[in-house]
Amino acid sequence: MAIATRPVPRPEDEVVRRPNVATANVQLPAVRDYEQVDNEVIRTLAPTKAWFGALAVAIACFLLGATMWTYQIYWGLGNAGYQPPVMWGVYIITFVFWVGIGHAGTLISAILYLFRAGFRTTIYRCAEAMTVFAVMTAGLFPIIHIGRPWKFFWLIPYPNWRLIWPQFKSPLVWDVFAISTYLTISTTFLYIGLIPDIATLRDRETNPIRKQIFSVLSLGWRNSEREWRHFAKAYLFLAALSTPLVLSVHSVVSFDFAMALTPGWHATIFPPYFVAGAIFSGIGMVFTIIIPLRRWFGLKHYVTINHLDAAAKLCLFTSLVVGLGYLSEFHIAWFSGNEMEKDYFWNRVFGQWWWSQWILLTCNMIMPLTLFSQKLRRNTTWLFILSIFINIGMWYERFDIVVPSLSHEFEPWQWSGYMPSWVDVSLLIGSFGWFFMWFLLFVKQLPIVAIAEVKEIVPPKLRSAHPHASAIDTAGRHVEYEPDTPGEYE
Amino acid sequence: MRGVLGAFRELDSTVAAIEELKQQKYVDISVYSPTPRHELEHAIHPPPSAVRRFTLIGGLLGCTFGYWIAIWSSDYWPLVVGGKAIASWIPYTIFGFEVMVLIGGLSTVAGLFINSRIPKLTMTVGYDPRFSHGDFGIFVEAAPDRLAAAEAVLRKHGAVEVRGER
Repeated sequence: MAIATRPVPRPEDEVVRRPNVATANVQLPAVRDYEQVDNEVIRTLAPTKAWFGALAVAIACFLLGATMWTYQIYWGLGNAGYQPPVMWGVYIITFVFWVGIGHAGTLISAILYLFRAGFRTTIYRCAEAMTVFAVMTAGLFPIIHIGRPWKFFWLIPYPNWRLIWPQFKSPLVWDVFAISTYLTISTTFLYIGLIPDIATLRDRETNPIRKQIFSVLSLGWRNSEREWRHFAKAYLFLAALSTPLVLSVHSVVSFDFAMALTPGWHATIFPPYFVAGAIFSGIGMVFTIIIPLRRWFGLKHYVTINHLDAAAKLCLFTSLVVGLGYLSEFHIAWFSGNEMEKDYFWNRVFGQWWWSQWILLTCNMIMPLTLFSQKLRRNTTWLFILSIFINIGMWYERFDIVVPSLSHEFEPWQWSGYMPSWVDVSLLIGSFGWFFMWFLLFVKQLPIVAIAEVKEIVPPKLRSAHPHASAIDTAGRHVEYEPDTPGEYE
Repeated sequence: MRGVLGAFRELDSTVAAIEELKQQKYVDISVYSPTPRHELEHAIHPPPSAVRRFTLIGGLLGCTFGYWIAIWSSDYWPLVVGGKAIASWIPYTIFGFEVMVLIGGLSTVAGLFINSRIPKLTMTVGYDPRFSHGDFGIFVEAAPDRLAAAEAVLRKHGAVEVRGER
């Protein structure tokens, strides 16, 4: 459900142009009627050579990961680069990374919906699909990490012949509940939002097989007022349930660390710090995906510069929160008077792991400060480059949480190093292949822009004068408002 | 029951037609629109959605089940760690919360399906594919002797097409 936004009529006596600053209430003046939305969004579903090429690369990466996983299952976890006592490595880092990526989808689709932020309308479907595929990817890694993947179901509570039950005080069992709930609710939220759009595809489709598939998936949706009324309420409640869920899931993931006494992990700041980091990394991935898509799919007048500008402000805000988290960690370590904690952080920032720590600080804290510049916020090339650095920085954030703590615990004789093996690296590449394979399949089967919600912010056709006639004519087209907002056409 | 289906290009025409049909005491009116519009909702003035009750009941049941499964299985298979309580409500709140969201969310979907009467197996009567594209629609069901009057109302308010359906 889109947020019903009203165009801002220009006051009669206004002589200066409206400032070209993105607000939460962005409009789509280049989108003139409902039919245009259908035609332009459905046009993006036609496969292209570039799409086939990208899909082939994604599948190749996925097959590399799948092959290496098979190899590891056969030869054992010793191939995973673990070096005692560092028995958590790339798999746990990548698990936390992908769970984090998923969080921006729920933020954009649910939390910004509750906050009535109109700029979410054209980007939320992409972010929501990203969430589902990111959580699917994340869910693989604890199973890979346990070494005997065929026994993962022991974590699920169900009556069994062994007559044993999981330890409900273990953060690993909390994870199972949190991640499986998150995957289920995210998938449900995505699908429910898709039903009206699938009905639109059904009504426009000419291929009989695809039409039949869309007919089944749309569940006989008819766009009736009764359906819309219950749909709006259900969507609101799903958003209201998803909002605390997204906060809880990464808090639970942070408990995997914070429940241990290990230096650097045993901190009460972890849940909010993890949640902010997750949202930050997810927004980075949204930029990585949406900027090429809006260009290749010809959707620049849907995902406008103003939309990206508003999302970049959110990115900047979460970067500042994450940066505050980093500095608070250092302060807490210094202020605690705990020698282990102080020594650990010294080793992390200036000692053994200085390089990874400074990658993190540069990518997540320093580079996003450029978003204070409106010019850079509206520069898609810079946003894309920055998003790549944010992705790298956030992977290294999880590296800096997992590895330096385990390699520098209480006893000096235990101190060690860690180097990922080629199996680790292959599985990391494979996870990107798996994620992008699903995402690329999604964008050519189902609309990447929410058709019904975009129609909500397009003024309807009227026979009489529009209530905001100073800005919109009877054909639903923005008039005087247009020339003052150039970013909305780009 | 038989009915007439009218297709409109403009929102305000649709609203005017609904209002006149209601004045003339037509009860079974289905309205179609490519996107939800508050103007149509105001004209129809429907009762509040019952989906919220499904959410509430599902959430309460889920929360209860989440706590119960953790407490019951801990008592059934005690794992004593560090002298802590076997059934410890603070960590078990995670299960109460997560299962509340899970069952509450799925119940909301069930509420949507039941109240919207979907999935539907047939959709040929009283619907036109243009209603998902750009047009608005009104389907009036009435006794055969009142259909002509309903058709007249739809045409009067600018329906671009009116046809009988049964």
